[in-house]
Amino acid sequence: MQEDFHYYATYCAAFLSGYSHEESMDICYSAQFVDLCSKTLLTKLGAPKSAATTQLQLEMMETKTDLIGLQDITRIWASFHFLPKDLYAQKKKRSMRYMQKYRLICGPNGELVDETVKLAKGTTLQHVGIAMHVLADTWAHMYFAGTPSLVINNTDRDFFELILQDGKTIEKRIHFRHKPTSPDDPDKELFTNTLYQGSENSVMNLGHGRAGHFPDYSFARYRYFPAWAEYAEVTKDNPKDYMSAFLQMIAAMKYLRGVTDSFEKDYTDTEVLEKYGDRIRAILEKRQLNACEDWKAFGEELSGNAIAPFDIERYQREYISTPKSAKKDTYIGKFIEGAMAQKSMVTSQIYKSGNLLAGFSHFKPKDNA
Amino acid sequence: MTNINKIQSILIGIIMIITAVTMIIYPKDSYVFIILFLSLGLFFSSIKTLIYYFTMAKYMVGGKISLYKGVLLFNFAFLTGSFTDVPRAYILLYLAMMHAFAGIIEILRAREVKKYNTLNWIINFVHGVISITIALCCIIFIRKTNTAVIIYSVGLIYSALNYIAAGLKKSTLVYIQ
Repeated sequence: MQEDFHYYATYCAAFLSGYSHEESMDICYSAQFVDLCSKTLLTKLGAPKSAATTQLQLEMMETKTDLIGLQDITRIWASFHFLPKDLYAQKKKRSMRYMQKYRLICGPNGELVDETVKLAKGTTLQHVGIAMHVLADTWAHMYFAGTPSLVINNTDRDFFELILQDGKTIEKRIHFRHKPTSPDDPDKELFTNTLYQGSENSVMNLGHGRAGHFPDYSFARYRYFPAWAEYAEVTKDNPKDYMSAFLQMIAAMKYLRGVTDSFEKDYTDTEVLEKYGDRIRAILEKRQLNACEDWKAFGEELSGNAIAPFDIERYQREYISTPKSAKKDTYIGKFIEGAMAQKSMVTSQIYKSGNLLAGFSHFKPKDNA
Repeated sequence: MTNINKIQSILIGIIMIITAVTMIIYPKDSYVFIILFLSLGLFFSSIKTLIYYFTMAKYMVGGKISLYKGVLLFNFAFLTGSFTDVPRAYILLYLAMMHAFAGIIEILRAREVKKYNTLNWIINFVHGVISITIALCCIIFIRKTNTAVIIYSVGLIYSALNYIAAGLKKSTLVYIQ
């Protein structure tokens, strides 16, 4: 998912779940900041690098993919962008090494989504934003794992977009190319992906890199053969999944605000769906690489307030100029605390499942009762 | 890098230096070392690839490519090992070609890294230039096999130092509390 969903759509979901305009702004800023809080940025701010929620391309190029490098990558990507669906998944006749990677495949409605939302309960709006980013990405990034793996994340040339035209579904083969400087071209079915690397742990094989940004577009409907699925075809319907993500964010934030007693993953807010379903569906189905304008207009209509564009610099000066003892009370300080808690929880759960790919963490579960 | 990786890297570097020095001292008989070195390298690489196929890639869509790669490397290992009766000049030509190929790859990587506006491309570029220079020197002095062997040995020492430097490089392990 991109800025359109993590920033503007998250604002809409927060407002629809009952947060005020100001609170919704704080939540959506934090949700988008997850995609930008790299070690490089934290170094600039003088903040702990272990709070990084993403890695820049260059940072990844410099990371060695030995065990320690792999753990560093996995901690970040599995915790914030590819939350594993089932850490105890079973598959017969597979090696332990294979299963460690297989169990990190991302998907919605897993136990870790529950843990993620519960962890944000009673904390800060920044932590709520982080949880919404993680939750939303489970829908967009399903079937890919947040660890470099050829045997899990590779794709082959049989990758087709399904386009609805005049009531019929037509298929168009997607052509992936490695041209980072050229924008994706949906009209010609040209999308940039990472280079094929035969090495299992190459960073080129991280997440949905081999499918480029295509899984991040809300309009995308496609079928392909995931590397792990033993030649079983998978069909992905992003407009439907993104709608589910949107509704689940509302359900989660209603729980976090205390409107509902529990977080019900399957709960559908029928009122929102009846009132705004068609509008949201129209934004999700529109074939465009960036839906920021449409979501922004929808959000501003909902709240009657202007939504300021995302500005990475917005809270940096506040953090840098605040004395060390009070940094935790700044916007970025609260974000860092939330990020550390999320990373620690996921790392700890992966480690407890007997999987060493994310390393090890002392996580103390909090009592939400 | 874990401590085991570091020790492994340093040991590989030391073995390479010992081999290179031996080759410089005994250039006439050194081609046997080169052949042995290459053959063993290809052999272990093929075994590693085949293990990867049977434990991981076997279950992957299109994973047979790892099997083919492993079998091909295995055959190359034996082909290289059977070069004992081939004139030394051919062996050096073969080695020079390998160096040149590695050098071209490094320069292509440097070009890619440069696109991201980072200074790291210089390291790749220097590696590439050195590999190509060694390859060219081997080809230029191919008739003087002793000289070519010494040039190749210098290249080997350069690679060994890279391994040792990688092993000594500080790496930190971050635990999240």
